[in-house]
Amino acid sequence: MSELTLFVLRFGFLLLLWVFIFAIVYALRSDLFGQRVKRMPDSVAAPFPAGQAPTAPAAKPSGKSTIATVSNAKRLVITSGAKEGLEIELTAEPLTIGRSAESGLVIRDDYTSTHHARLLLWGEEWAIQDLDSTNGTFLDEARVTVPTPVPLNTRVRIGTTSFELRR
Amino acid sequence: MADVTTDVAATPSATADAPTGHTSALRLHLHIPSKLRNLELLLLIFACVLNGIAVVLVQLGALGEIRPEIIWLGGVLAVLAIGLHIALRFVAPEADPFILPAATLLNGIGIAEIYRLDIAAHATGWNADGIRQIAWTAIAMVIAFAVVVAIRNHRVLQRYRYIAMFTGILLLLLPMLPVIGYEQFGARLWVRLGIFSFQPGELAKIALAIFFAGYLVEARDSLSMVGKKILGVRFPRARDLGPILVIWAAAMAVLIVQRDLGTSLLYFGLFLVMIYVATARLSWVVLGLLLFVGGALIASQLFSYVAARFHGWLDAFNPDVYNAAGGSYQLVQGLFGLAHGGLIGTGLGEGRPQIVPLAQSDYIVASLGEELGLAGLFAIFALYLILVSRGMRIGFAGQDDFGRLLGVGLSFVIALQVFIVVGGVTRVIPLTGLTTPFLAAGGSSLVANWIIVALLLRLSDTIRNQPRLVIGP
Repeated sequence: MSELTLFVLRFGFLLLLWVFIFAIVYALRSDLFGQRVKRMPDSVAAPFPAGQAPTAPAAKPSGKSTIATVSNAKRLVITSGAKEGLEIELTAEPLTIGRSAESGLVIRDDYTSTHHARLLLWGEEWAIQDLDSTNGTFLDEARVTVPTPVPLNTRVRIGTTSFELRR
Repeated sequence: MADVTTDVAATPSATADAPTGHTSALRLHLHIPSKLRNLELLLLIFACVLNGIAVVLVQLGALGEIRPEIIWLGGVLAVLAIGLHIALRFVAPEADPFILPAATLLNGIGIAEIYRLDIAAHATGWNADGIRQIAWTAIAMVIAFAVVVAIRNHRVLQRYRYIAMFTGILLLLLPMLPVIGYEQFGARLWVRLGIFSFQPGELAKIALAIFFAGYLVEARDSLSMVGKKILGVRFPRARDLGPILVIWAAAMAVLIVQRDLGTSLLYFGLFLVMIYVATARLSWVVLGLLLFVGGALIASQLFSYVAARFHGWLDAFNPDVYNAAGGSYQLVQGLFGLAHGGLIGTGLGEGRPQIVPLAQSDYIVASLGEELGLAGLFAIFALYLILVSRGMRIGFAGQDDFGRLLGVGLSFVIALQVFIVVGGVTRVIPLTGLTTPFLAAGGSSLVANWIIVALLLRLSDTIRNQPRLVIGP
């Protein structure tokens, strides 16, 4: 085995080592830079300015001050945005919200951060926690800075999507 | 990965529209080809090939010929790693795909370098550290396999937090027992039963991480909410100081009785970081560091071995210190080795790492630095970085607080151990005798670190929940 072949082999080994590392980094790039966002079609983007006005008064009535608890809140209803009207059942598990595919509620639009917010249980009560998102989480149009208990039938807005906790 | 995640996300979104609910989602889930696992298999095969090439290069460099028997033994390990991968397909299909390949590659590079030092020492059979390392790796992988299969839900561990505490303290104290404990290289860290010797402190770090996570989830409110504010930093009440003082006392006991600065720093650092993550209060870190530095300074005055370590660190190139017994000979030879390696190294099997004492265990980093150079050493650090960042990610994306704290604790303990070892070898901090995770020769360390890998895989599986509703494209 000549000196030159050995040199080429050991240099090749170092190169392969780095190829391995960059293969991993390439595979996890969506973790580092977030999911790629596609430009939303107009029909989807439209409800944002229009959707705000009608839903705000809708949130006002009935049981405003009652905090949502495990026993009285059974579902999460999307009240505005692309999937308006859809609902998911609440379990006793926390629900993560964000653009990341690992979130319990995935919202992919231009306003949502990868890990945006978390709906968690404080004892029996549901509370919303903003995970330092760029565009903020709004509970009844007030920006959430610390984990805040969520009343029943009160609008929580993230980007163009709003939802309420209901019986 | 972008493709992976969007596809996984897209399928349940279709089911969320349908009113059928859980049963159809479950059936669909089984039909999704597990892309994370396929990615893992690809990377794992890549890692095994790299391990094989490393051993071949060692043989070409040191012997000038290829001897197949060691490569066959390495093949057994590759089969075990793939066995672990297949187990994950069934019991943790959403586990992180990068942890297993990174650990396998680190372990394999370590075996290649230890084998290279065996060749230099003309060691064969069971006297060779390399053969023993291969056997221990096999045992450690089987144990990791058992952990992944046996622990289906990590929250079970939270129930056993106090048992974990007693186990941890017991393991720490075992080497102090008269008959089975024994002393080696000036530190009392080993337990010997017949021909079988073990370093129980390595396993203690897992038990303690489980205990800290379980305890802090309960206690963090009283640790973080109350206390007086001094200079803008909220300090805890005197009565809440109990646990930090207990851990500090334990760390000091390890330092004084077992004479091991590294282990004591490792456990105390683990506790500080976990309490900081749990309470988000800097005052704990400030208090803890002051306590530890104070204790270590007093110890350096009272005990000659700590003073010698400091002296050998600050004045390493002084000929008197270099030639003294327990002086800086090892440290300086390690630095010369690193300098000899330069940017791309001498090549595997072509350097002279055997000159440094304990080149196969405490000084494996210097040996690798000499033969793979700065470029190779940084690749190894990048592997650690990937491993640790995947663990930290559990703390970031996880949903239950016990799992998040445990993920942060377990991955931080690897990071801190690498820092203490590499910092010691490169003369950034005083030299302490800790094993380099996955690389260094030593069975207890391998078993402990593979258990950590198994736990991280389990934790990462639970955080990758399927989305329940997807809004948007």
